[in-house]
Amino acid sequence: MKTVEKVVNTRKRAGEESPGKIYSDKLKVRARREWRGVKDTFYDYTRWLYLLSVLGKFIMVPRNIKGFFRYRWMMSYLFVPHGMDKFTVGLRDEALRIAHTSFNFVIADVTQAIANCFRGDRRVGNDKAYSDKCVITDENSMVTFMMGFDKEKVHTILREVPTMFASNIFHQFNVMHYLDVAQLNGIPGDVCPMPEAEAGISIEDDFCVLGCCAVQNNTTCDGSLMGNGIIAKRLERQYGIPTFQLATPLRHKEPDVLEYAADQIKQAIEFVEKHTGEKWDWDRYFAAAKRVNFATKCRIAQLEINSTPYPQFFGAAFSLYNDTNYMGNSGRDPEFIKIDKKLLALAEQGYKAKRMYAKEYRHRAIVWGVQPQYVIDMLYWMVQCWGVMPLADMLSIINTDMIADEDTPANREQAYRDMAMLNMEMIMRNHTHGGYKVLLDDLWELCEKMNADLVMMWEHMSCKALTGMHGMFEEQARERGIHIMWVSHDLCDPRVFTRNAIRDQVNNYMRTVMREEPLDPSLEHIPDDEAY
Amino acid sequence: MRDLKHLLYFENLLQEANNELIARAREEGKVCVAYTCENVPEPLLNLPGCFSVRLHAPHTGSMDIATYYMTNLLCEPSRALLERAVEGGFNFSDCVITPDGCTMMNRCVENMELLHTMGKDNPNFFHEYMEIAFKNSETDVKLSVLQCTNHVLKPLHEKYGIDVSDAAIRQAVADHNRLCRVIRAIGDFRKGDKPRITGYEFHILTLASYVCPKHLIIDKLEETLEELKTREPDEKPWRARVLLVGSEVDDSGFVKLIEECGAFVCADRFCFGSLPGRTEIALTDGEDALTQVCRHYIRSCQCPRMMNQEKVYSRKQYVADLAKEYGAEGIIYQQVKFCDPWAYERMLGSSMLQHDYGYPVLSVDRPYNIASAGGQMRTRVQAFVESIEIKKIQKGGKA
Amino acid sequence: MKKLVKIPLILLGILLGFFVVTFTVYIFNLDMKMMTFIEPLLEKWYNSREHDQYL
Repeated sequence: MKTVEKVVNTRKRAGEESPGKIYSDKLKVRARREWRGVKDTFYDYTRWLYLLSVLGKFIMVPRNIKGFFRYRWMMSYLFVPHGMDKFTVGLRDEALRIAHTSFNFVIADVTQAIANCFRGDRRVGNDKAYSDKCVITDENSMVTFMMGFDKEKVHTILREVPTMFASNIFHQFNVMHYLDVAQLNGIPGDVCPMPEAEAGISIEDDFCVLGCCAVQNNTTCDGSLMGNGIIAKRLERQYGIPTFQLATPLRHKEPDVLEYAADQIKQAIEFVEKHTGEKWDWDRYFAAAKRVNFATKCRIAQLEINSTPYPQFFGAAFSLYNDTNYMGNSGRDPEFIKIDKKLLALAEQGYKAKRMYAKEYRHRAIVWGVQPQYVIDMLYWMVQCWGVMPLADMLSIINTDMIADEDTPANREQAYRDMAMLNMEMIMRNHTHGGYKVLLDDLWELCEKMNADLVMMWEHMSCKALTGMHGMFEEQARERGIHIMWVSHDLCDPRVFTRNAIRDQVNNYMRTVMREEPLDPSLEHIPDDEAY
Repeated sequence: MRDLKHLLYFENLLQEANNELIARAREEGKVCVAYTCENVPEPLLNLPGCFSVRLHAPHTGSMDIATYYMTNLLCEPSRALLERAVEGGFNFSDCVITPDGCTMMNRCVENMELLHTMGKDNPNFFHEYMEIAFKNSETDVKLSVLQCTNHVLKPLHEKYGIDVSDAAIRQAVADHNRLCRVIRAIGDFRKGDKPRITGYEFHILTLASYVCPKHLIIDKLEETLEELKTREPDEKPWRARVLLVGSEVDDSGFVKLIEECGAFVCADRFCFGSLPGRTEIALTDGEDALTQVCRHYIRSCQCPRMMNQEKVYSRKQYVADLAKEYGAEGIIYQQVKFCDPWAYERMLGSSMLQHDYGYPVLSVDRPYNIASAGGQMRTRVQAFVESIEIKKIQKGGKA
Repeated sequence: MKKLVKIPLILLGILLGFFVVTFTVYIFNLDMKMMTFIEPLLEKWYNSREHDQYL
C-alpha cells in the first residue's frame, strides 16, 4: 500500500492542547469556547463580535422579525455562532483566519440572502417593486445565466440556500420536520434528503414567495430534477410565478451536448429578460468572466499549496467557500475578489511559516463524495484526532479552464458555451455525472497529483450516482495501493447516522485497518449527538 | 376464457433473457443490439441487419455480486441486470446502447462495461451512452438527432456495417409500425365490460415484443390478434378495472397478482408497456426519417425525467385520458423500490389523479421480483379493490 | 482640563466594561446557552401554526 512521509509539528500549540474538553453531554451547545492563546482567542472573539453585529443588524429590521416568526427554518439562525465554532475547532494562526475570512463572508452573504427574501416575500416584506425584479433559482444551481445582468436591478434569489442548505449546518435537526412532511405526503425515505426536504418545505408552504419568475435546473441528480416539479407546481399554479426549466446535459464531457447546453442558457437569459424587463449586458458579462477566471486561478493556487506537506485552506470552509463563489456568485460580485486575494495571501503566509494544525500529519487524504451537512466539522476533527489531513474534497475540484473574458463578436458566441460548460460542470455533478471516468479516474489522478495515500470516501447512502460505483472504488483503490475509508451518512438526516456513528467509522478504520492510536484520544468520542 | 394458442410459447420466451429466438436471429447473421431504456428510439436498433433486445433478468433471486458493486441502495432492476450480466446471461449482445436516463441504470451499464461482462470474444463489441432529451422542444429534437447519429447509427455502421440510410430507417419504422399496430389492436380488446384478453396475457405479449427479435414473433402476434377477434370473453365480471402506472414491470407475476385479487389491469402506462411504447410512428416524405423518429419519441415520451412543466402536467393528463379511454375505475401508481424518478412521479401523480381527476389511487413501491413481497402486495391490492367496490356502492352502483 | 482627562477615562471604562461582559459571554458560550432555552419555545410556536399544505 502507498505510504506518505509523516510530518511532525515541532511547534507547541498555543492555548489548550485539545479541544475535546469544550464539549458537554449535558448541553446542546458547547460548554465553553476554546482557549487558543491570547492572540488567537482575541482574534476569534473579535470575529464573534462581528458575527453578532451582522446578525443584530439583520434582526433590527421589523420585517425580518416578522419573517423570523413565520418560518420554522429561521430557528437555525439562532445558532450561527455555534455553527461558526464548528468551522474553527482546534484551529490557530493562518488557518483560523482563513476559516473566519471565508466563512464570515459566506454568513454575511447568506444573511443578506435572507433579508432579500423577506423584503420581497408576499407574506413578510411584500415589496412588490423589488419582488418584480427578483429571479428565483435553485440552491444547487450555477447562476452563470445571470452574469450579464445588473445585480442591483435584477436580483438572483437562491431561496433554498438559507432555507435548507445553510440552515442545516447551524442546526442539525431542523431539516427533519420537512423530511417528515415530504414522507407523510408520499415521497419514500430512500431518496436524497436534500431535494426531499426542499419538496417538504414547498409542500409545507415554508418557502418565501417572491419573484417575477423562477429558473430551475437539473444540475445535481434525478431526485433534484424530480423535486423541482413539485416546487414548480406550487410556484406556477398557486402563486402564479412562471418557471423555466434549464435543462443541463449530464454527459458534460461529450462535445456533442455543448450546443444544446448553450442553447438552454440562451433560452434562460431570454426568459429572464422577458420577465424582468432588463437587458443582458455584455460588458457586465465579460467583467464577471474575468472575476470567474481570477477565482479559478486562486482556487488552483490554493490546491497547489495543499499539495505540499503544509496545506493551509482545507476542510469545510474551503469547500463551502468554493461552492458559494463558484456556484452562487459566478463572478457577479466583485467583493469575492478581495476575499480571494486575502485568503491566498494568508495561505501563502501559512505555507511559508510551515504552519501545521495537528501534532502530526500521518496521512494525506482526498475527500471524495458528498459531505453531510450536520457534521460540518468532521474534517477538522479528522486531522486533529487522527492526523489525517484532508487535502482536497470532491466539491472543490471544479473547472480549471479559463473562459473567454474579452468582448469580441466571436467571444460572445463562445460565452454561451462557456456558461453552458460551467453550468454542466457545477459542483458535485461534474464528478457524479458524466460517466464513470469523472468519478473514478479523476480521483486517482488527484491522489497522484496531491500525493495522497488515503481516500476518505463519503458514502451518502441516498446518492445513487456515488453508491452505484462502490465496488469499482474498492477494486481500483486496491489496484493502486490506496487506502479507502468508507464513511456512510444520509446527508442531512441525523436520525439515520448520528455524528458519533459517522465518526466511529473513521475510528474503527484507523484502529483496525491502519492499527493506529489517536493523536488526541479526548476527541475520539465527542458527546455532541444531541447538540445543534 | 380459452387459453390463447401461443401464450405458453410467449411465456416460455420470457423465462430467460437469452431466449431461443435471439440465438436464431444471430444465426441469421443479425447483430444483437442490447439496450436498457425506453428512451432509445427502438426502430434505430432494428435497422436491416440488426435487432434490439431490451435487457431483463427474469427469475431474479440473489443479487449479491451486484449489491457489492452498487450497494443495496440502488434500484433492483439495475442490480438484477448487473448480476445477470456478471453471470454471463447477456453474452448474446453485440453492443449495449444506453442513455444517461436514470442514474442507476446508467451506473448499471457502466459497471457492466468496467467488469467486461460482455463482448469478450467480439472485437467489434461496443458500449455507447447517450444524452437524452429533457424537454419536448425542437432544440431537444436536434439534440436527440445528434445523439442518435453519434451513439447509435455511427457505431452500428462503423463496427458492423449496418445500413443507416434514410431508406433503411424508413424500413425499420415500417416494421416497427406493423408490430405496434398488432400490439395496440390486441390491447384494444381490454376495453369494454367484457375484455377478451387479461392484463396478464397482454403483458406477456408486450414484454415479448421488447425482449425478442421482432421479426421472429410478429406472425404469432398477428395470429393471436386474429384469435382474439373470435375469443369468447368470460361472463364473470371483474371486481374492478385498474390502470397500472409506473416504473418498468418485468415480472408478469405482478400483473397476475393484481388480477388474482379481482382487479382487471385494463391499461399499462409503465416503462416498456404499450402505452405509449407501442404507438405507431407517422412518417412524412418532407423530412428525413431520423428527425421524425426522434421527434416522435420526444413528443410521446412519458418518462418522469422530462422536466418542463408542460410535460409534468401532461403526463398526469395522459394517465387520466387513458383511464377514461380504457374505463379504469382505479389507478395503481407503482414504483420499483429506490427508483428516484418514479418515487417523485408516483407521489405527485397519485395526488393529482386522486384530487384533480377524482380517481381512487393506490400508491405502492415494490421489488423487482414480486415473489419476495407477494403477501404484502396482495393485501394492499385487495384492500384497494374493496375500497373501489365500496365507492361504487356508495355511488349507487353494483359492487 | 479635568474634564478632558475624564472623558477618555470614561470611554476606556465603558470599553473595558464592554470587553469584560462580552468576553465573559463569549468564552463561556453564554450566548448559545441562552439560545438553548429559547429554541424549544420557538419550536412550540412553529408547531402551533397552521400550514397550507399543497401538492
